[in-house]
Amino acid sequence: MSAPLPIRRAIDWGELAPLKLRARQVAEGVYAGMHRSNKRGAGVEFGGYREYVPGDDLRWLDRRSLLRHDRLVVRQFETETDRALCLLVDASASMGFRSKGAPGAKLAFAAVIAAALARVALASGDPVSLTFLGGGARTAHVPRSAGRDQFERIVAVLEAVEPGGDARVDHVVLDRALQALARATRRGAIVVFLSDLVDLPDDAAERVAAIAATGRVVSIVQTLDPAEVAFPFEGTVRLRALEGGAVVETDAETTRDRYLAALASLTGTWEKAAVRRGGRFSRAISTDDLVSVVRAIVESVR
Amino acid sequence: MTFLSTLALAVALLVVAPYVAHRLRRRKAEEQPFPPARLVQPAPPQSRRRSRLEDRALLATRAASVLLLALLGATPFVRCSRLSLQRSGGASVAMAIVVDDSMSMDATADGKTRFARARAGALELLGSAREGDAVAVVLAGAPARVALAATTDLGAARNALDGLTESDRATDLDGAVALARGLVSSLPQVDRRIVVLSDLADGHHDGPPLGEDGSVPVWIALPELRGPAADCALMRADRSGGRVRVGVACGPGVTAAGREVVVEDADGKALGRAAAPSGSTGETTVLLPSEDAAASRARLLGTDAVAGDDVAPVLPEMSRGAIGVVADAADETVATGGAPIVEQALSALKLDVDVRPIPAFPDRTEDLAGDLGVILDDPPGLTPEQRHALGGFLEGGGVVLLALGPHAAAAPLGASLEPLLARGVTWGETKSAGGDPVSAVGPLAEPAHSLVDLGASRRATLAPEDASALESLVKWTDGAPLVARRAMGRGEVWVVTLPFSVDDSDLALRPAFLAVLDAWVHAARERAAPKRSDVGTTWRFPGAHAVEARGPRGPIAVTRDEGVVRVVPPLVGVYRLSVDGKAETRVAAPVLRELDFRPRPAAPTTAGEGMGERRAAVDVSGQVALALLALVAAEIALRAWSRRKVEAV
Repeated sequence: MSAPLPIRRAIDWGELAPLKLRARQVAEGVYAGMHRSNKRGAGVEFGGYREYVPGDDLRWLDRRSLLRHDRLVVRQFETETDRALCLLVDASASMGFRSKGAPGAKLAFAAVIAAALARVALASGDPVSLTFLGGGARTAHVPRSAGRDQFERIVAVLEAVEPGGDARVDHVVLDRALQALARATRRGAIVVFLSDLVDLPDDAAERVAAIAATGRVVSIVQTLDPAEVAFPFEGTVRLRALEGGAVVETDAETTRDRYLAALASLTGTWEKAAVRRGGRFSRAISTDDLVSVVRAIVESVR
Repeated sequence: MTFLSTLALAVALLVVAPYVAHRLRRRKAEEQPFPPARLVQPAPPQSRRRSRLEDRALLATRAASVLLLALLGATPFVRCSRLSLQRSGGASVAMAIVVDDSMSMDATADGKTRFARARAGALELLGSAREGDAVAVVLAGAPARVALAATTDLGAARNALDGLTESDRATDLDGAVALARGLVSSLPQVDRRIVVLSDLADGHHDGPPLGEDGSVPVWIALPELRGPAADCALMRADRSGGRVRVGVACGPGVTAAGREVVVEDADGKALGRAAAPSGSTGETTVLLPSEDAAASRARLLGTDAVAGDDVAPVLPEMSRGAIGVVADAADETVATGGAPIVEQALSALKLDVDVRPIPAFPDRTEDLAGDLGVILDDPPGLTPEQRHALGGFLEGGGVVLLALGPHAAAAPLGASLEPLLARGVTWGETKSAGGDPVSAVGPLAEPAHSLVDLGASRRATLAPEDASALESLVKWTDGAPLVARRAMGRGEVWVVTLPFSVDDSDLALRPAFLAVLDAWVHAARERAAPKRSDVGTTWRFPGAHAVEARGPRGPIAVTRDEGVVRVVPPLVGVYRLSVDGKAETRVAAPVLRELDFRPRPAAPTTAGEGMGERRAAVDVSGQVALALLALVAAEIALRAWSRRKVEAV
């Protein structure tokens, strides 16, 4: 029988509180409107031509080109693309971890990033939705919407979320999150997945990356604690995973290199899966500068 | 060892318990959360990790704690060897501690001198004293003296004992015990005692047992101080030209045969050597390479009980001292058929002085160098040069015996008896037949009876000013001074109002005349102390105002008693003195009887029955408990340190 988890149920915000203020500060540090987007509906900007492929909507077939040049081309408009931002935040138990030198728990770090991204998108008029992977009983889904109130809703839900759930053992957690994401996003939407990736099922990388194949832009942001990157233990240590119930006793000095290699391998697996599907992959340590992290994410999805 | 003691110490076997617990605890490291734990490969802890420093420190701390706990349980049964007082009915005690600081106490045993052991014993005794006990400290080095008068301030007593230092004095046990008895006999405590910490080697091994009488019981503690010892010493080293005569003395039954005497310069370089005499006492002569060799000290090679007396400073050979006599040899020869009667009397007294007839008093003080004193028998006055020389002689500590007669009264113009007498004297008829024995004081008190009828028809009469300045030793029956004296400078002048000539009186034929000469020579010797004397002998400086003394270990105390400056050399060696600005060098030599280590017998009642004991229970539970607390604190600190280290990870 495993011992009760020492992690607190609420997020350990640490130096990252208050979320609302921090998110605004970060968002203001990021150049607003860096990502390309237009208003929805008519009066749209022409987006250019491309060759017709079977299945294209015949409404956009350019008849003039057909008559003049005897070529089948279709017209493209920016209004076709849905630039909604879908935030998928890992709120499983492992995200509640915070080591001694970290400013806050990994989930708190991810929440600030998510809120700042939402702020940036909403400032550009894009709709934003929020979905969690795992989380406690008070975890709620925020449907896609735009406007100033949406930021308030997102912040309120992020502040109320509690780390919980074992995605490693309970595969339903991942299924439920992906299904909710599929319902909330359309083609062209930007999906930002914030997770430590360490306790997800083995096929999670492929399944998450597959979202990109359906016309969405997927950005996977691996959020890690500095202790997970450095493995700063000494001597004989007894380590317990927060998901999956694994307990390992080892000698830190002899195991450190092998652990770092395993972490690099895991990261490589996710990166390959994302890149192969046209997605983006980045890593953020909870001690990193938040403005730089958010700006990098925004630029990667332009 | 009692059963309880054994049982308590058996608890010490539990020292293995922390070790076992340590081993068991160490196998399971403290569990820590780490999300990517599944990426970490399990590995068996390496053996070197099992003995980390903090773990070992914790183990040692716990093991020591168990040992101290066991010791704490056994503390009432732990005893250690030390002196302590016994009390009758728990009443307070008056105790005089006699510490022997004589030279024989410098003998070493087990790397520690007897004196150090005696002082430690005194401190042990003091440690068992309680509030209300009175303690006095007396030193038995001759002369016996009080180091601390009786006091109930135990801190002051401890300071006094801490400040005691060894000396090379002779031993005066009887005097010390008498002093100690006087210090405690009048104290209000009913339970009084004298504790003697001495080797009892006072040179009187066949003397009466110590402590057999007296109202205050005596406890002679530390019998190990009375162990046998053999010692030889260099008593003197006198140089004459290219030779150094070294006197060697040893204790009874001990010889310096096989040992060598080496004469060294100030840098320790050997200038010459000779075999030590084979007898118990003797003299050996060391030849120097030249008469200019700067011999500094003589050293007796080899080891014995006391190392400090194996070195003696080399001094120029001293003469016995001389008495200058200024008398009219022509007149005297007629009467005695030989030397003047005063010279013959000095020779008859065998005072171990040279008699040096002087035709006339010299004009220079330097001409009197080496003279202890000068006798002026009816001098016809003194010229100015002579008076100046006489003044210098007196200022330097010289002693003059002036006999007044017809020649002194008829001094020619320009001649006077200054500075001895300020006014002239008269020579005239006397109605008094002789001296008044009742008026005699000092050394002449007894022989003055022979001065009753001197057969003198005339006598010298002093001016009233001079008579009042003199201290009469014997007076004429009419009250005029017959023999008188006064201090002058550092010296002294004695005046006799009759000449020594048998033509004028029978004074020179009376026993009192010899007594006068003997007392005068004794005074002269006191004024001109010899360069070498026994250690502990008081050096007196009558008339001196500023005296400074520096001994082998630095400056020594200068005391003043009845207006006379005194210095007591406590150690064997050379002393540099400054007497009113004039430099002197004196030597303190060992006392022969201190080489005799045979202890004096002790009375059977001095075993300390009921007064003290050698072995005492010492309660150290307080110290053990403190150590235990310190260990517990150390363990808490170690654990906190370890925890902080883990949390930092």
